Amino acid sequence: MNKYRKIALDGVITSNPTLKLVLGTCPTLALTTLAMNGIGMGLAVTFVLICSNVIISALRKVIPEQVRIPAFVLIIATFVTIVRLVLDKLLPDIYESLGLYLPLIVVNCIILARAESFASKNNILASACDGLFMGIGFTLALTLMGAVREILGAGSIFGIVLWDFQIGFFSSSAGAFFTYAIFIALFGMSASQISKRRKLKNYSALQAEKHRLAEEAVNNSAEAEQSDACAAKTDNLNGTPRAFGSGTLNDSAAGELKKEA
Amino acid sequence: MDNNAFLTYSPSPHIKSHITTRWIMIRVCIALLPACVMGVIYFGLNALLILALALFSAVASEFIYLLIAGKKIKEIAAQFDFTSCVTGLLVGLTIGTNYPWYAPILGSIFAIVVVKMLFGGTGKNLVNPAIAGRIFIFMSFQAVVGEWLLPSIGSVTGNSVTTSATILTELLNGTASQLSNWDLLLGTGMAGCIGETCKLALIAGGIYLAARKIINILYPVLYIGVTGLFSVCLGGFDFSLFLPSILSGGLILGAIFMATDYTTTPDTTLGNIIYFIMLGLITAGLRFATKMEVVSFAILLMNLLVPLFDKFIITRPFGYKKIKKEKNNG
Repeated sequence: MNKYRKIALDGVITSNPTLKLVLGTCPTLALTTLAMNGIGMGLAVTFVLICSNVIISALRKVIPEQVRIPAFVLIIATFVTIVRLVLDKLLPDIYESLGLYLPLIVVNCIILARAESFASKNNILASACDGLFMGIGFTLALTLMGAVREILGAGSIFGIVLWDFQIGFFSSSAGAFFTYAIFIALFGMSASQISKRRKLKNYSALQAEKHRLAEEAVNNSAEAEQSDACAAKTDNLNGTPRAFGSGTLNDSAAGELKKEA
Repeated sequence: MDNNAFLTYSPSPHIKSHITTRWIMIRVCIALLPACVMGVIYFGLNALLILALALFSAVASEFIYLLIAGKKIKEIAAQFDFTSCVTGLLVGLTIGTNYPWYAPILGSIFAIVVVKMLFGGTGKNLVNPAIAGRIFIFMSFQAVVGEWLLPSIGSVTGNSVTTSATILTELLNGTASQLSNWDLLLGTGMAGCIGETCKLALIAGGIYLAARKIINILYPVLYIGVTGLFSVCLGGFDFSLFLPSILSGGLILGAIFMATDYTTTPDTTLGNIIYFIMLGLITAGLRFATKMEVVSFAILLMNLLVPLFDKFIITRPFGYKKIKKEKNNG
């Protein structure tokens, strides 16, 4: 189960395809003027990603090493065609607004990268999981960027007009680059902060453990010394010298006792 | 430091002068004052409001950014060097009075926070903050606002028209201009931004800066001259185009106050000369290609090339001789 948890975390946060791996920038920059576009594009990519990952993973032992890229592209293109036909029939509005970027999913870096680096090396279930969470990460990033750009640039969210206040800069392509850069910076900053905090937590836990162990050791030795001293004391009381019958040893033992006291 | 000591020991800048960033920037503010005053005279108290908003929000955003970055207010006040005042004033001067009230605020915040502070503060910015702020406002609100406002003083007042395309747009589109060159110089009856209308005030500010040796007068003159000459060439060697093309649009404001920014110009004299000639060529060429005002875009574009100038044009160290490569005959 730990493996799937790691895949999920990788897909959404630690190697988020848009914000960490910086893959698939073309649709990210072009389509995030509206939040709805982000969701549409994200879901289309998620579907293609899951299906192509599953098929490629199933065929990973059949596809020869030398022709793997054409084979991957063929598989991906099949699913992109399915998505196009389905969207054209069922959601013509989204099909219109995604336009050219829908067929371009074939050459989207995210899908090819996951096929190459994950699906061709892992079993079917893990690949499907990876496709799902990578797709979710992509969709979340695109939707968030689209929402920010739509609120600031058009004064609406998901087509619902909020106010009459618009900053046209965010609707333009310059605004796309700007928003993307800010998103990457903020995401990277918070991610590194979180990992630093986690490391610090681990480190301090480790230090506390060490400290505890060290204290225990000290206590143990102190107890041992104490018992030795007790023994010396009893020797002294009994009047039977420990060694050589001289009083020096007893004196020193008494001195130690005093010091400890 | 003990003033009586014959020798003082200190780390490197050994030559000290009274010229600090703060000193320079206060002088630049003073040089901008005539343009501000003329803008207020031409466009009324609305212009004053816009200038004040831009100035205040620029300074306030710098203070707030530094406070968030963990500096103490005393420290910020001690290090405050009026650069953000200049930026705020320039942002205010480059927009018209018919812009919404939040336009100068957003432009100033963008200029200071994004363009200046995020890159490391004064002297570290890649492009001129005021130019970037102006372009931000232009891209955000130009479509909403539309045409420029006419000033209240001038030969065309009395008409019911209060807005019009700028003289530059008319010039580029071939519409006959009804204004003389004197009108262009004084800005009477000419539509435009608050600060770009009265060229005489800007030129006065430029002469003050040159007299104070804050800017080298050669560079703005080179920029303006090349733009004018190249416009003449592009307009089919019609020399009557020379004066209108340099006196319209934001060329003089850009040349004197924006292109000469220390951080965004090359270090060497040769680099500067090439930089300003290229600026002029790009400005005139793009003006004729796009039929709109491009001074700010030209300066932004050239600002981004400054690191290249500094990389490839290096001053010859004193006494340095070029080592001839010996041919390998073996």
